[in-house]
Amino acid sequence: MAETTALGIEDEIHSFVSDRLQVISYKWLSRNFLVSSNAAKRLLEEFVEKHGDGLAVIYSLSGWLKSNPTTYHIRLVPSHMLPDAKEEFDGKCSVQVYSIQACLPKDPATLWNHEFVQAEDLFKQPSTLDNCLRDNRFCGVSNSFVKRTVGETPLGSGSIQVKSTRVSGLSSCSIPQATADPRSIQKNYQNAGSNPGAQSPNTAKPVKTEGNVKPDLAQVAEKEKVPRPLPNNKNGQNNKNSSGSGGSLASMWGRASAKPKPDACLVQAEKARQGSSAEHEISDDDDDDKAFSARRTSNGEGSRKRRAVFNYSDEEDEDDNAISLGSPDPPKKSVPCSKESLNASTSECNLSFEEEKSKPKIEEEKEGDVKAKPKVKEEKESDVKSKPKVKEEKESELKANQHLGENIATVSNDKKAGSLTSEKTLCHVTEKDASKKNTMANDVPKRRKVVKTRIDEKGREVTEVVWEGEEQDSKSNNNNSAKIADNNTASNAINGPPAVRKLPAVGNAAPANQAWKAGNKKAATKDPKQGNLFSFFKKA
Amino acid sequence: MEVDSENGLLQRKQATYQSLDETFLIAKETYKGQQYSQIYFARLHLMRTMLYSLLPTWKPHLPSCTVLGLEQGKECVIVGTLYKHMKLKPSVLDEYSKERSASPLVQPCNFLHSDDYLVLEDESGRVKLRGALLLPSIYVTGIVVALHGKETGAGDFEVEDLLEAGLPHQIDRPLNSGEDKFVVFVSGLSVGSTSANPLHFQLFVDHITGHLGDEKEQGMAAQIVQVVIAGNSVEIGRGLLNGQNLGSKDQSKLSEPIKELDILMSQIAAGIPVDIMPGEADPANFALPQQPLHRCLFPGSAAFNTFRSCTNPHSFELDDVRFLGTSGQNIDDLAKYSDATCKLEFLERTLRWRHIAPTAPNTLGCYPFTDRDPFFIEMCPHVYFVGNQEKFDTSVIKGSDGQVVRLVCIPKFAETGTAVMLNLRNLECHALTFGSQFDS
Repeated sequence: MAETTALGIEDEIHSFVSDRLQVISYKWLSRNFLVSSNAAKRLLEEFVEKHGDGLAVIYSLSGWLKSNPTTYHIRLVPSHMLPDAKEEFDGKCSVQVYSIQACLPKDPATLWNHEFVQAEDLFKQPSTLDNCLRDNRFCGVSNSFVKRTVGETPLGSGSIQVKSTRVSGLSSCSIPQATADPRSIQKNYQNAGSNPGAQSPNTAKPVKTEGNVKPDLAQVAEKEKVPRPLPNNKNGQNNKNSSGSGGSLASMWGRASAKPKPDACLVQAEKARQGSSAEHEISDDDDDDKAFSARRTSNGEGSRKRRAVFNYSDEEDEDDNAISLGSPDPPKKSVPCSKESLNASTSECNLSFEEEKSKPKIEEEKEGDVKAKPKVKEEKESDVKSKPKVKEEKESELKANQHLGENIATVSNDKKAGSLTSEKTLCHVTEKDASKKNTMANDVPKRRKVVKTRIDEKGREVTEVVWEGEEQDSKSNNNNSAKIADNNTASNAINGPPAVRKLPAVGNAAPANQAWKAGNKKAATKDPKQGNLFSFFKKA
Repeated sequence: MEVDSENGLLQRKQATYQSLDETFLIAKETYKGQQYSQIYFARLHLMRTMLYSLLPTWKPHLPSCTVLGLEQGKECVIVGTLYKHMKLKPSVLDEYSKERSASPLVQPCNFLHSDDYLVLEDESGRVKLRGALLLPSIYVTGIVVALHGKETGAGDFEVEDLLEAGLPHQIDRPLNSGEDKFVVFVSGLSVGSTSANPLHFQLFVDHITGHLGDEKEQGMAAQIVQVVIAGNSVEIGRGLLNGQNLGSKDQSKLSEPIKELDILMSQIAAGIPVDIMPGEADPANFALPQQPLHRCLFPGSAAFNTFRSCTNPHSFELDDVRFLGTSGQNIDDLAKYSDATCKLEFLERTLRWRHIAPTAPNTLGCYPFTDRDPFFIEMCPHVYFVGNQEKFDTSVIKGSDGQVVRLVCIPKFAETGTAVMLNLRNLECHALTFGSQFDS
């Protein structure tokens, strides 16, 4: 080091110690003046030799202890205790200046404090910056195998990643997100389906609506934001933060809590009236990924508050037995549909549903991947939907408030394939109102979609939208909240004979031939003329 | 020790690392509301098969039978799980029947009583054990053993001989690789606690990363290839965790210990590979096997490729030397329900019983596995460690098949300022202590 700089540093040290009464440790010195630790120690030594009179010096002694031969001991002692301390060591011990200060601190931790503050400042620098804390450049031992990655960690450059993930999510996301949907569909949800594990974002909200989409992409950190329901957006769209892909989010929030909450997503018909599109959420027990659930409000209904309901499905595929260890969601407050609205919505649904046929197919994830439910918007707003899954754990949870709209579009679309691009309206009919269903069903002259609700063996409401005429499902008059079966057909077994047809990815279009094979247990056929095909398959 | 003469810096030694923690992860398990019968059954099945294979060499002339198949007076061998009936064992029913006042937590003292007796149980039945050979104070519930004896008139089983599983097979470690490479174990850092001296931890970090000391000492530091932090790295004030809503000031108090730990860990990770295991006081799950601490807790350190968050128990191989260890919950639980002269004896017993945590799930929290028991030791480790003990202790045990295991008790750093250094070449251990002394 040049004499001049050394002198300059010496002066600075002097001022630090005497004027500001700081503790100058060698480490602090090395980081402050960007010299290596060994050089800093040398500097301190020289300083002590020259100006050490008025100062308290603390030395670090290290060596093998005499007393216990298998112990390597490092101790800090002030200068006056140096000779005694040396005695304890077996043989030679190395003595180095550790720090200099104006006077001895009473509390040894004071020595550490100043240095720690400096370390903390270095630590808080932006993660992209490589400072001496992070690359350990001033130590005596170098390790070339240490690599530090920036930007892939959960923290950090969220925005950049958001975009990238969003883009990739668009392409890779199997969820029926609005990837394909160029229109501004407000949807955000993170789809479980899309991904497990991937850093990908399934959360990409492909379409950013009014910027409402939360950047809660798959990043872990971002996932933390997920559960915050977004306020209504301009469109009244309900932004839903879907739980992140099963992998990290679920692990963050606990598998237990991933249990679908009793928020069977019900769309409030009233809300639906508004023009806000609600997202219909259906919990999908079977899927590994979590399905998010969002409450959907049907368009056109009056403005209702939208609430996002998060439904974290269990990670197992088949599980219907997995128990959620988390506390159940508070009962969703759903605005009760009025009868009128119900009918109205029904017809609207029907209408919209029929329109769907002409809509472009929405790609849906494969059955196994279903995680998000497709959202059906009454108002034909483009919506990215994932398979709707409604799961209600307790009947009681489905209060009358909850209305199950007819998830015609989604339900009817058995085919998992296709991404949802068409808008679907989802209206839920309150289960209590079986008659409404009947009415609804009756409203449509041909192939009627009826919503059937029942309680499956787990005490969950299952809502099925069934095409009449084809499946001959009898519309159930009993009202139990129905749970829309998730796409796992395997779970049909749970429900026993009535083949609950899980609604696979929301498919749209071609509702007609769906596979709505929803089994109805006791439903009476709506149309007596048409026999119930499934009457052949009585539940055992 | 290579010395890079160009810039005067020493190069750190490297070692190949392989993690064997997969068996302790529970990401793929599903919880369907099951209880613990399945893990006990899996354990019994696994160990009984193994014990049956050892019977021919032990007592070839005796038949083996199930508990229900015992006939009075007939000598035979039975294999089953031991259950120790303890009078003083705290029961949740007792706690419930007491007034639900703010009664103090159960004291972690020893629950042994002279009236404790052992019972052997298999899937067919259970039988009370008698015999001078069997000292209830040594055994705990959950061990699977083979017993030779006969049924007495009273319906008990008189034990004449006992066979434990013994040390599992060990792969020979490479001998004399020539270089000294050290692994540093530390536990009980308790960052954030009022009793821990952060200066000592900083000295520790400075020493192992090579800041402190002269050339010779830094040369020693350059030989350190791995740091293992065995649990209880933070201590969050219990007062904050009483279930009430926290104000913003308190909330920052909650996260400060972790942030401080992260800063210090990033200093370590910048230079040396470090494994951090969760402990009892860490923000991880309670039941064993504890899952790795989440990376989001360590935003600064997790950026390094040298930072590894591991499960508890933790198993890994370093240069073909096999390590296995826990953060101390298993041994502490054994200490509550059985007796031994020192903690090393507990360690040895768990190895001879071939099970890391036999008292799980009886008195030690455990995940209800359905088809396996991950605590079963399949391959004998070369180094078996336990963290958060009172003092540093180490010994070597030998098995009947030539296995050699180094047992290490890692003391709590916050209390003792002691870490443990282990030489990979010869498995020798020594302590690394830090102190500061300012009073005359």
